[in-house]
Amino acid sequence: MLRYIAKRLLDLIPVILGITLLVFLFLQLIPGDPAIVLLGQRATPAQVEALREQLGLNQPLPLQYLAFLGKLLRLDLGRSIISGIPITQEIATRWPATFELSVAAMIVAMLLGVPAGIIAAVRKNGWIDNLTMSTSLLGVSMPVYWLGLLLIYLFAVNLRWLPPSGRLSIGGTFQPITGFYLLDSLLQFNLAAFGDVVAHLILPAITVGTIPLAIIARITRSAMLEVLSQDYIRTARAKGLLERWVILKHALKNALLPVVTIIGLQFGTLLSGAILTETIFSWPGIGSWIYEGILARDYPVVQGGVVFVAIVFVLINLLVDISYAFLDPRIQFK
Amino acid sequence: MLGRLKRWQVALCTLAAVLTVTISNCAQQPSTTTEGAPTTSSPTANASTLVFGSGGDPASLEPGNIEDGNSIYVQHQIYDRLIDYKPGTTELEPALATEWEASDDGLTWTFKLREGVKFHDGTDFNAEAVRVNVNRWWDPADRLGFRDAGKNYAIWEGLFGGYKGSEESTLQSINVVDDTTIEFTLKEPFAAFPAAIASGYFGIASPTAIEQAGADYGTASVPAIGTGPYKFVEWRIGDRVVLERNPDYWKDGFPKTDQLVMRFIKEPSARLAELRAGSIDFTVDIAPDQLNELQSDSNLQEVRRPPFNVGYLALNTSYEPLANKEVRQAIAMAINRKGIVDSFWSGLASSDSHFTPPSMDKYQDSSFLDYEYNPERAKQMLAEAGYPDGFPLELWYMPVSRPYYPTPKPIAEAFAADLGAVGINVTLNTKDWAAYLADRLKEPGYQAFMLGWTGDYGDPDNFLYYHFGVGGTTDIGGWRNEEVFKLLEDARKETDDAKRVELYQQAEKIIHDEAVRIPVVHSEPLNAQRSNISDWVPSPLGSESFETVTKS
Repeated sequence: MLRYIAKRLLDLIPVILGITLLVFLFLQLIPGDPAIVLLGQRATPAQVEALREQLGLNQPLPLQYLAFLGKLLRLDLGRSIISGIPITQEIATRWPATFELSVAAMIVAMLLGVPAGIIAAVRKNGWIDNLTMSTSLLGVSMPVYWLGLLLIYLFAVNLRWLPPSGRLSIGGTFQPITGFYLLDSLLQFNLAAFGDVVAHLILPAITVGTIPLAIIARITRSAMLEVLSQDYIRTARAKGLLERWVILKHALKNALLPVVTIIGLQFGTLLSGAILTETIFSWPGIGSWIYEGILARDYPVVQGGVVFVAIVFVLINLLVDISYAFLDPRIQFK
Repeated sequence: MLGRLKRWQVALCTLAAVLTVTISNCAQQPSTTTEGAPTTSSPTANASTLVFGSGGDPASLEPGNIEDGNSIYVQHQIYDRLIDYKPGTTELEPALATEWEASDDGLTWTFKLREGVKFHDGTDFNAEAVRVNVNRWWDPADRLGFRDAGKNYAIWEGLFGGYKGSEESTLQSINVVDDTTIEFTLKEPFAAFPAAIASGYFGIASPTAIEQAGADYGTASVPAIGTGPYKFVEWRIGDRVVLERNPDYWKDGFPKTDQLVMRFIKEPSARLAELRAGSIDFTVDIAPDQLNELQSDSNLQEVRRPPFNVGYLALNTSYEPLANKEVRQAIAMAINRKGIVDSFWSGLASSDSHFTPPSMDKYQDSSFLDYEYNPERAKQMLAEAGYPDGFPLELWYMPVSRPYYPTPKPIAEAFAADLGAVGINVTLNTKDWAAYLADRLKEPGYQAFMLGWTGDYGDPDNFLYYHFGVGGTTDIGGWRNEEVFKLLEDARKETDDAKRVELYQQAEKIIHDEAVRIPVVHSEPLNAQRSNISDWVPSPLGSESFETVTKS
């Protein structure tokens, strides 16, 4: 088991290398560079050149890439060109926001998706099934930012039930401790702040959770259908067990395996920061930060952000694989 | 294995429980009231806490190392500058400097400094503190400049020609005369020196704080220390900056509130929504097309910022037809500028014959008239110039919204339609913003393009020299007009204000006649506040201190 984990962690290295190289090349393909963005309209070509030299942007590309890698090996992601803030510090500040949003979105997706999938499978071709499946198709194909804007317009601007953006309306006495605001507000027994944090989470969580919700519902349904057609289920029914018991006790356990996989994968995707949603909701997470980094051509921000996100994604995948061993005793790690 | 599975199920149930709590918590929230009161049960701002909706994080809280409005807004509250602008105007008034004057030859500016002022960390403010700040910006070798950490102070170069040791540097030396007197010696006279040093970029920071923080100064991890009305408390990246009243502020009776929170809300529509919900008290840069929504809410008031920008149409003289002045004038006549401004800016803008904004009227000659809109006459002029059938023209529009061109593409289409009517066949082009700015300077540049300018400081020099002075015309085919060059140089060096007015008025006449950058619009950025907020006076220069703002 430990050897397996170690091997998987070693596999990270070529993945990270590949990703950094790709990101590096993509950034070079975008026209314009940080020097131009920093200097803006006032810039004369000579000034841009001087600044490029200072930022090391006029070095040959391979050298720039190697310099970045060399720093990465020392766990130094450098500083943002625009703000001067060390990348690691930016990540530490923004990661809790993304994590909190991802968890909230995942809860929405699981608590609605799994039951919807089960009911759809049990009542196959019934109206619930058809409704679930057509809704999930809609959910998967809807542009997320559009849904976000729609929700803001409806629930924040028109009905005014929920705040339109941010994580917290007004600090008052609330002081973050861990950066996970739900936790921080509870730790301080500050229920008003907790309610405020929850209110701010609802719309972005629904927005981010829509696609995973639809996917989870579909996967649950098909896994459930697969299991329900197995012999042992027929046996259980033949024994005269209650149908509810058959489904929850015998079928669900085995059907959940692929569902756990998909939940893990989706969670990994969410943790990489929902770029558009975070931007729309002014959510101070990794996604909106990378977005601004791209706009400002802040190379270290984009590079560092993407490397971090990739590591998170791979680690989540690893966790999913390990959890298999616990869910299915037939799986052995070699 | 079974036990493990159960544990996993328990985890799921726990999650379910958490969500249930969450939902019940929301259900308890009071529903919306007709007065549009805040609907979340969050602690709302009390009278002594002012909440400002800003457009995003500051790039940095380090003076002299920023250019973006979001940074200047925060810095304006923490730092003082040597000189300020009278609220709502482009006129200078004392700040950390109580008086300033130029020597007879215009080369030495002497500043008398305010006594008894302390930085928020207790450090004394004096001439040495000013020297430390200015020298960091100006001298690449300064020990406290930390240029090896990527700092560049580009705005210093932009406004004062260059850094220490370069040919172009306006500044020759800094001299601390005594604790309350500092001298700046220039290479050549620069009449707008006080106006430029008064711009929001150049707050004075505590030398002690800079020394302690090193390269980290200006980031969220160290406090920003100035002498201004508000003290830095914290900067939560991506979310807010929190400031508190400076009890030792040198201006008695200010600031009017105990706490100032600046929240970062990127979307203009979200800023307006937050304002309507009452979770912020006042905010800036609302899209012109939301003016109606703003006016329909009785709890809100619009607060306009006096125009301090220009949106123009640039014509590149290296493109053969445009080398001809009559052709350029015909283009200025063919475009219905007033009509376009009326339809695209919801009444939040004006169009006139001047390249400088209306707040500069002291330097403007009101006697010459604007280009008339006369397509017939324009056609005739084109024919006289040898283009009876018109000519093709590539017109570039910006890919981003700016205060002076909120919706560049439809505006460009309107230009194209007007020009088509006189036979000029326009193709529209655009490219990424950073590339757009950079490529316009590469030979031969764009044939015609849209761009604009928001002033840095309250002097015509800042508008005219950059666009029509020596070195400022690369993007219009290196257009040269010796007379204009000379007038702008002379006005820059002239210390007598009445003479400067005369020089600028002459220059403006020629510029108008040449029609290489046709001024289209001066827009008024739209801000808004809740009706219990008063005494907020937006500065034309784009940011101001909130020390006067009161909340009832």
